Amino acid sequence: MFGFNKNLFIFVVLGIFSEAITQSDTFDEELMLKPLPNGFLYAYFQFTTRWEASNNQQTWKHTHLFPRGLAEIIGRHNVDEMQISLTEGLWKYKKYGYPFHNAGPGAEVTTWFNKEVSDVDKEWKGLTNALSGLLCASLNFVNPSNSFSPQFSFRRSGAMEKESRNSSHLRYSSLPRETACTENLTPFKKLLPCDSRKGLAVLLNSAFIHNTNYHSIGIYFRSICSNAECTQRSVELKQTVSLVYDTVTFDTKDWSIRKLFGIGIKGACPLANISNIYVDTTSNKTYHTFKITPDPDSNILSLRGGQENKYALYNIKLHNTGKPFSIATVHEQQKSLSVIQPSILYANRYITGYGQEKGSLVTKIYNDHWKPLTIILLENVPWYLPLYLHSMKIVCNGKELQPLAQRYIPGKERQQPYYLELVLTLPPRSMTKFSIDFDYTFLKWQEYPPDANHGFYMGPAVISAMLPIARNYTALPQDGSTITSIFNATRPGYLVQLRTEPLLISLPTPDFSMPYNVICLACTAVALAFGPLHNISTKRLVLKRVDKQSYLQTAKSKLRSLFGSKEKKE
Amino acid sequence: MGLLTDPKAGNGEMAKFILTWEKVLCYLLYFCGIIWMMCLAHPFFNDNTYYSENALLPGLVKKESNLMPTSKAFYRELSSERERFPDRMPYAWIIAKFHQLNIEVYTHNFTLNYPFHSYKYTGQNIYGIVRAPRAASTEAIVVSVPYRSITSVHPDTTPSVALLLAFADFCRQQRYWAKDIIFLVTEHEQLGMQAWLDAYHNVVSGHEGILLSGDLAGRAGSIQAAINLELHSMAITSIDVKIEGLNGQLPNLDLFNLAQNMISKEGIRRSFQRRFDTYERDPVKKWSYHFNTLMSMIMAQSTGIPNGNHGLFHRFGIEAITLEGFDNLKEGAQRNFYNVGRIVESIVRSVNNLLERFHQSFFFYLLTCTDRYISIALYMLALVLMVAGLFIKAFSLWLRLQDSSVELDNFKSKEKKKIESNQVSEFSVGSIASEILWTHTVGALLMSSPKFFVPMIIKHFGFRTEDAVFYSFLLITIMSIIWPIFLIKRKSKYSNTALVCVITCVEFGTALTCIAMHNFSLAFLTAVVYVPIVLSIYPKQTITSRYRKILNVIWPLLHPFSIITIIVFMYGFINYRDETILSVLVRSLKATKQAFVLSIFDSMIYGNMLYSVTVAIMLPIWLLYWNIIHKNTEINT
Repeated sequence: MFGFNKNLFIFVVLGIFSEAITQSDTFDEELMLKPLPNGFLYAYFQFTTRWEASNNQQTWKHTHLFPRGLAEIIGRHNVDEMQISLTEGLWKYKKYGYPFHNAGPGAEVTTWFNKEVSDVDKEWKGLTNALSGLLCASLNFVNPSNSFSPQFSFRRSGAMEKESRNSSHLRYSSLPRETACTENLTPFKKLLPCDSRKGLAVLLNSAFIHNTNYHSIGIYFRSICSNAECTQRSVELKQTVSLVYDTVTFDTKDWSIRKLFGIGIKGACPLANISNIYVDTTSNKTYHTFKITPDPDSNILSLRGGQENKYALYNIKLHNTGKPFSIATVHEQQKSLSVIQPSILYANRYITGYGQEKGSLVTKIYNDHWKPLTIILLENVPWYLPLYLHSMKIVCNGKELQPLAQRYIPGKERQQPYYLELVLTLPPRSMTKFSIDFDYTFLKWQEYPPDANHGFYMGPAVISAMLPIARNYTALPQDGSTITSIFNATRPGYLVQLRTEPLLISLPTPDFSMPYNVICLACTAVALAFGPLHNISTKRLVLKRVDKQSYLQTAKSKLRSLFGSKEKKE
Repeated sequence: MGLLTDPKAGNGEMAKFILTWEKVLCYLLYFCGIIWMMCLAHPFFNDNTYYSENALLPGLVKKESNLMPTSKAFYRELSSERERFPDRMPYAWIIAKFHQLNIEVYTHNFTLNYPFHSYKYTGQNIYGIVRAPRAASTEAIVVSVPYRSITSVHPDTTPSVALLLAFADFCRQQRYWAKDIIFLVTEHEQLGMQAWLDAYHNVVSGHEGILLSGDLAGRAGSIQAAINLELHSMAITSIDVKIEGLNGQLPNLDLFNLAQNMISKEGIRRSFQRRFDTYERDPVKKWSYHFNTLMSMIMAQSTGIPNGNHGLFHRFGIEAITLEGFDNLKEGAQRNFYNVGRIVESIVRSVNNLLERFHQSFFFYLLTCTDRYISIALYMLALVLMVAGLFIKAFSLWLRLQDSSVELDNFKSKEKKKIESNQVSEFSVGSIASEILWTHTVGALLMSSPKFFVPMIIKHFGFRTEDAVFYSFLLITIMSIIWPIFLIKRKSKYSNTALVCVITCVEFGTALTCIAMHNFSLAFLTAVVYVPIVLSIYPKQTITSRYRKILNVIWPLLHPFSIITIIVFMYGFINYRDETILSVLVRSLKATKQAFVLSIFDSMIYGNMLYSVTVAIMLPIWLLYWNIIHKNTEINT
């Protein structure tokens, strides 16, 4: 009895104690609404969970605000840093500017494993399989034949022990065929502390957000410094939803939260520290003029990289009145057109040639800046499109451009993709055309996916650069965790990692009704050949002795020979 | 069936049979082929078209478009704009319209280095892309219109441009697109389209340096299908669906079928080869109507010249058709762009439904009316029968040449003697090879020479291009016809000439089958004309037939160039019956000259095979047979 009480006491004390530890975490929810040129509207949700605990096995045993399902996976597979995105549609850099998070179409996973992990490929497989269960996405299709470790393109963004140039613990894979849908959004929402019952997550209404021109959900996990000296570490989890609405298809140009998401906000998530909505009003009174109602709680003027931005801020906590809260804009008739400044770096990728024998992969990279830009181009080509490295051409203004660095690992059939990474300096105001020839291979018939004649997808190329100016730039600075950190965040460079278009490739595809025909034909031929073959191999030629035969038998044999000859003649 | 038994066993009878009945068999097969083709036009022998691709879901969507008001407004504006620029496209207006509709718009410049001359033509295409909200620009559908200025000789297409813009406006408002839609307005007819397609795929389809297609600023993934619009009026009574493409390629039958069904669903009369479906009760009349439709398709396909801009897509594996709308019927309900717009909408939405690219249904077919087709399995038989005659002839000639163990008991004594006397033990490989080599070299040289020689002739003699080409062809024709005169003294062994005949027959048969793989109609028509004559060509023998002399007249008429001239003249006589004979002659001569030049241009710009096939395959075969006809043979006894 006493012993039980003692145990209970210890348990209670420990419980309180651990509670005290885990309560060192915070949750922020934010929404940025940014009108883009040409009638598009960018909506970016960010749900940030920060937890003042270092990334070790002990930490992941108890969670408070941090999603338990994800915590277990991170702990079990020794993940240092992880970026997952599920995207539908294409982010058009030229038109939309730069997003908060770059994500290629389909699914993308980038992971840095802890340096103590010995068998990275095994952990990678385990991790992607676990994630595929967590997010209901086909991440289990990630395997060594479509993942690799780029050397230059990806860098850890979080706090780490020491800068290590080794990319052996990095894995990157993209599955462009994957479609992001409600089934991914529902488990995503369950990772949030308030689920979708309270706070901004209420707006994640799948009927509305899947009706956009671009939607991307992302999970970004990393370690950050808790203090300036970085003596203490925290873990940070950002869950993001990026949406691009096309207001041209609306009946009017005016938009409101209710119109975009089909519902108003019913108060902030009680667990959230920050619960804000920002509306980017920088473009107001340029190519469109609009009025926002209700009036913002505060207006923010931000100077970043030579770019002046204005934001209207709404603190949802102040609007916890019980009535659904909505922000609406009313546009005025536009009289004059103003020049839209395009992004300074953007790219296109396409395939040239026709037929199913050989083709050429072309990536066009535009530098609209007045200074040269250094970029890293990562080409990700599946193994069934063997590249010819000697045919690689990088032409800019009619002149060949020499890459500053080049790393190439040829693919192996069914084992590893073709990986090509180049460091290039793009001349000012130029278009650089990268092209390389490849073959279409004929696959084994079981390797074709269902709907084989749809074609195969090739993942996007990744172009990484540090932009010198922050024009059309929205992303958080590397040291920031919440959207508030973008205000006045002038830095020496602004990292972008553009994703180009995915490509649809028509490999030579067999007529899948053909095997049936072939089987029929082959069987007939075998059956016909069998008779003579059987005869030859089983019967022996024997001299036949002519015996005296009965009259009946001679008559019979004569008749037979008669019929035989007749048949022959016919 | 003895697959593994001795091939020699039982061969004798077959050979005997062929040797006895050779001529009868060959001609019988030829006529069987023709009769089979004629039978195919009868509904008993062909089938109703059907949808093979279920993903098209034709006609299941609720059509939402009403393009009448917008297209009318665009039409009015464009008509006045057209008068301001009588000889070129109002680029600025079209670009501005696309911009107003919030559609990204690009221009494409191309240059044609006019073959044989040093001057250049330039042109510009304009295209807008409606990006699919539901996909990452991996697939696209093209809706195109050839822009025709007031000075153009072709019928006006302004209404189609208006419809294109109105439809683009409609598409921009919709959110269900899974494929990007490219709205393309091309200039200079097929030239603009070819340049655009070449630029899109970054290839050169014709000869290098002729059509400079440049580069495109905007792209939209792999193109799945294309619809070309040629609507000549704002009120439409009938729509013709055109399918024949470059080198006789056809679009997938599903797309054709889809278009035809959507047209009839909107209550517009549909036609194929500008012929409406017949509801004739009389079976003979019905058959003859269908047969005429079939023949007009074969005629159109055989030239390998696309009868609309859709034809240039086929090379790139893109299924494409042209909808040509007329307002030419006295009776029948006149429909406006409300209905026409809905036809385009339903076709594009059906194609938008596609999950896989068109791969089901037929790519090789012939049509007898808008809803009946003849599959390749049926029509190929007609050609196979005719070609079989050639092979049988070659086989029997070869058998006769062999010092064979074929029992000749069954032969008539006369024939037996002849065969025995002709039996030779060896051939002179050198002379046979050289003969085949030089004829083919002539063909290959002619195929590649126009690029070098025609400009020289133009420069030195001051001819116009047409004259230069025509006279050089005339010279070649005359030279090749009188060539055997020089051979008259030379004698060669019977066996050698016979072997050349065997080889030529095999080559001709093989060539016909190969051509049929690409362009059935061309092979079929060639076979119909050439095979009966070829079957009667044998090397000269001691006992020759009386009719052999006729070959001297007929065969020159079948010279590839003479036959083209004859066809053009006949066409002239049929089309301009009401004019005087002299004017028709002059007109036809002019047309012939142009036909020669255009066939060379087509091969240089678009990669049309007709010229190459005629010169590099048909001409050598013709020459070989001409030699066989004229070569005197010495028979060694």
